[in-house]
Amino acid sequence: MNLIDDDTLQAYADGELDATNTARIDAALAHDDLLRRRLQQTRALRAQLKAAFDPVLDEPVPARLSALLQPARPQAPMPIKPLAQAAGRRGFDAGRRRASRRWWKPVAAATASVAVLAVTLWWHAGRAPLSVHDDRQYATAPLSDALDRALASEPDPHASVGIGLSFRSTDGRICRTFIDRAKPTLAGLACHDDAGWRLSVLTAAKKPEEGELRQAASSMPPAVQAAVDARIRGEAFDARQERAARDAGWR
Amino acid sequence: MEKRYVDPSQVVREGLIPLLPRLRRLARALTGQVDDADDLLQIVLERAMTRAAQWRPDAALDKWVFAIARNAWRDELRARGRSQRLFAGEEAGVMAADGNSGPAQKLELAAALVALPPDHREVVALVLVEGLSYSEAAELLQVPVGTVTSRLARARAALQSYLGNGT
Repeated sequence: MNLIDDDTLQAYADGELDATNTARIDAALAHDDLLRRRLQQTRALRAQLKAAFDPVLDEPVPARLSALLQPARPQAPMPIKPLAQAAGRRGFDAGRRRASRRWWKPVAAATASVAVLAVTLWWHAGRAPLSVHDDRQYATAPLSDALDRALASEPDPHASVGIGLSFRSTDGRICRTFIDRAKPTLAGLACHDDAGWRLSVLTAAKKPEEGELRQAASSMPPAVQAAVDARIRGEAFDARQERAARDAGWR
Repeated sequence: MEKRYVDPSQVVREGLIPLLPRLRRLARALTGQVDDADDLLQIVLERAMTRAAQWRPDAALDKWVFAIARNAWRDELRARGRSQRLFAGEEAGVMAADGNSGPAQKLELAAALVALPPDHREVVALVLVEGLSYSEAAELLQVPVGTVTSRLARARAALQSYLGNGT
């Protein structure tokens, strides 16, 4: 008799098994008490979890959460703005628990330190530092030169482009956040591929204070931060890794 | 590429409203705490609105926002790890919803869930609590289906042994 392993048994319990194997388990269950007990335990655990969490569905949603999904003011040009304001109120509410405030703080700080326009510029930028091939947007000089050469560990305060974080993304490419301080100030995320630096996100940003750039994770506009969050694999590069990546041609 | 103007934030915002209860359930299962869960959800909603333009109508909105939730919780765990300010332990257990299983059992389950490594806990949350299929969870987590299967089996074994149901 074939031993039925836990993976197969749980797939059976979860309704994920193909017909052939389902029939095999059905047959085995008919004469195998131990297997029946294991199946019952597997199902009982799932039922226990459902019983513990499903009641959340019936709890009233806290007003502070549903308020985030209220329509923006009529004519409000930027949908993000009411959100950021709501976030500020909630972040500085003295009645909140210590733990909750601590968890919130970095985001509140980011919201406060950068007046975000949250306009995705793609095509709208009057001064878009990009070119398009195959429907993809690539950085052009001087942004592309800065992405190729500049190191966050050796910031040049006079350069128009500052580099924030560099990291490897989940699809294996190297990505870098940047702020282009020329007017209008733009921030974004670019990932390197065979054709150059492909722009994932480009948004308007407030010109950062000197020295603020290195803390890019907390001072980047939320759209850029979100794009980093969505792509980053592991941690951002340290100075040594950043230099090594440059020396290797950002492969 | 011509860009048609559809206000993506409106579509996403309206789509998220009916998902709020499920998002809260997922957040509760991921974090193990009521307060963490709602704080997480707040960040998730804000990120979803910020990123609304990235959502494609052919992608299911629930999976899309679940992925945001999972990633946001990962970020938070990373940040806590970095700053050495772990505090999940001190309040673990208050996550239990009012349900019909006994309080003691819920506490046990909560503690057991919190004790799982994050990549096991998120599979439990997505598949066993939220009811995603293995392949849906695999796509969301960007791992092979076999990885979901093996994480889930190990998580189940760990939960069974915490709960004293082990063989």
